[in-house]
Amino acid sequence: MIGLVTGGTKGIGLAIALALAKGGANVYVNYSSDEEAGERAVKELEAVSGFGRAVKADVSNPDDVAGMFQLIEKEQGRLDILVNNAGLIKDGLLMLMKDADWRKVIEVNLNGVYYCSKAALRLMVGNRGGRIINIISPSALLGRAGQCNYSASKGGVLSFTKSLAREVARLGITVNAVSPGVIETGLTEGMPEVLKKEFLGMIPLGRFGAPEEVAWAVSFLSSESAGYITGEIISVDGGLT
Amino acid sequence: MEKEKLVDELRNLIVTRLKLDDVKPEGIEPGAQLFGGGLGLDSIDALELVVAVEKNYGIRIPDEDVGKEAFASVNALADYIARHKGGTATCDIGGPASSDIG
Repeated sequence: MIGLVTGGTKGIGLAIALALAKGGANVYVNYSSDEEAGERAVKELEAVSGFGRAVKADVSNPDDVAGMFQLIEKEQGRLDILVNNAGLIKDGLLMLMKDADWRKVIEVNLNGVYYCSKAALRLMVGNRGGRIINIISPSALLGRAGQCNYSASKGGVLSFTKSLAREVARLGITVNAVSPGVIETGLTEGMPEVLKKEFLGMIPLGRFGAPEEVAWAVSFLSSESAGYITGEIISVDGGLT
Repeated sequence: MEKEKLVDELRNLIVTRLKLDDVKPEGIEPGAQLFGGGLGLDSIDALELVVAVEKNYGIRIPDEDVGKEAFASVNALADYIARHKGGTATCDIGGPASSDIG
């Protein structure tokens, strides 16, 4: 099994990549700029499965994406699992939002899923099988003030997931989404205490999640056992939504 | 002559890749409409054939406009392959990098 996790060198993405590797997959992780994190991720992957490869590509750039998939095709000739995890936030109230912040979030979070899924299908269709798992957000399901750009991008990915699932089901390819709530990563460490408290008050399980808890859901959806699940969303959010 | 061979190869490819158990390769009329016609093939079947033809002949079907032309019939597909084989196949998997999402 060959897997690719976009934005897979840190945080949730890295946890997903490691979980796939533990499940026996040879995993490629993608990053856009932090080469050192790429190298660290490769070492961690190699320690788990003996294989790890980091590929630099901006998922919102079709030429970068083409290059990344050509590399995987050349080295492996196939791709079994694509996890569209790469994403970013540029929060701001809509009335004052910079157009560039709107565009950037849509380009990476939504267009990136389009470019990568499209390229991945060429490597999956011939195999009569494949798994695409898109990482979305409670923001797509509930909305969140200050996140019109982010929630629109993730809501787009949610609908994309549903449509593509119907489109490629007959080819043995499943397409699902995982929606992580507030997960302990580098991002939450820098979060103001007030915001942490606000979030904890909204989470029935009363704590933030661990990256591994998200990775488990992705790993399950990528497995043989999940072969009858498609177009589905699994929330890993402590009950938030 | 070359084209006849290609047509035969393609008819075999269609039957084997799309697992058309009750269709004989020679039963596929080279000039007949391939998808949405008598063979009962649809656009999802076309995806499988796109990938198979790209792999076997080293060509690229970049988008649906080209796909419609190339997959109109077995004859059209043979012509398309003959014209593009080993040529300057594009590798457009993404489309324009435009930020126009509307």
